[in-house]
Amino acid sequence: MPVFVKFWGTRGSIPTPASWTRVYGGNTPCVEVRFDDTIFVCDAGSGIRELGKDLLTRRPAPKDLHLFLTHSHWDHIQGFPFFAPLYHPGMKIRVYGKQVKDDSPYQLLSGQMSSSYFPVSFQDLGDRVVADYLHEGRKDINGVSVNAFALNHPGGCVGYSFARGASKIVYMTDNELELQPGELFPDLEDAGPLRQVPDDLVAVALKADLLIIDAQYDEKSYAGRIKWGHSSCFSATDLAIRAQVKNLALFHHDPEDTDSGIDEKVMSCRRRAARHGSKLAICAAREGVEMKF
Amino acid sequence: MHLTNMTEYDATITGNAQILRRQRDSRRHSLEQFEGDGGARVITLEGTEMVIGRSPDAQVRLSSKRASRQHAFLRLYNTDCMLFDNDSHNGVFLNGVKVYSAVLRDGDVIQVADSIFVYSEG
Repeated sequence: MPVFVKFWGTRGSIPTPASWTRVYGGNTPCVEVRFDDTIFVCDAGSGIRELGKDLLTRRPAPKDLHLFLTHSHWDHIQGFPFFAPLYHPGMKIRVYGKQVKDDSPYQLLSGQMSSSYFPVSFQDLGDRVVADYLHEGRKDINGVSVNAFALNHPGGCVGYSFARGASKIVYMTDNELELQPGELFPDLEDAGPLRQVPDDLVAVALKADLLIIDAQYDEKSYAGRIKWGHSSCFSATDLAIRAQVKNLALFHHDPEDTDSGIDEKVMSCRRRAARHGSKLAICAAREGVEMKF
Repeated sequence: MHLTNMTEYDATITGNAQILRRQRDSRRHSLEQFEGDGGARVITLEGTEMVIGRSPDAQVRLSSKRASRQHAFLRLYNTDCMLFDNDSHNGVFLNGVKVYSAVLRDGDVIQVADSIFVYSEG
């Protein structure tokens, strides 16, 4: 059975509604990964609002949603209070911690809905939102193996892979792939060899059908934002090539990126992959696009 | 601006702006189809759903054997137009990327079998 991935929010940092973000979208991160009737929601940025509306129109109506937050930065949680299933009887939203009794993501969402920030109290949602857990970063959920892994981002961040049979989807956002000593940077002419990337991330992404990856910057803009916790699209591409990923979606677009700027970023990464003899298919994550694997 | 202080001139400007906005929202979406050596054909999207495929019933007919009978469809949601792959054999490509569904934007290039379509927003 196929797996479906739909992008509901692809922008990093802050919602960016503008004429020049109309194609790739201005909503902050939210990605739906669906295996049959099992729905995984990655992050609760402003894109989750449209997902919520859509879920309520589906038949049969989904009853169980599995929410995985990467971290607590505002752009990854700000949409949660506007997620329509919260207010819909019969829905249950499971918010996962990395290990048993780690209810920090659940508590985080609870705090966000305190009266200082939002008019509806978290307590009023009753048991529609529950804390659930992975076991040492892993869990089998309806036959899908979910695996959490650490990422390099200020304050910490967690990525997730979802695998069943030969299908694997990896969500790896808000991660800085740091340059190693001696590496060519900025590689404005795209002349350098593949960069060194963390072995553990290559292992996680190995032969994935789709890797959704933080590629907020091009080489030039990354030069001014080193240690901000996001990656150059060239480093992201190199990781995907090393991991023999089949499809790569550049994600967490910079709020300053125009649609045409993102197109340029994609083209430069495709040229880089081709130069290294890779058949990797590269696109930019685009709001409203659904893919099937 | 307070409505109570609105002059007749202001009211006309506001009214015209509303009319223009409504007209913009109700403009029809269209596709420019390129297939084979022939020239482009402009297809205006009618109704709320249109089928693209080889079937005689398809509103957007394709002649290629690589096309499924009901290969894809377009559906209007509010003022947006959505493209869906109807579980076709050869898939649907948006700007060169294989997609299952997508909200279309002005200038998008859609490939279905041997046909290329350029989408124009209403």
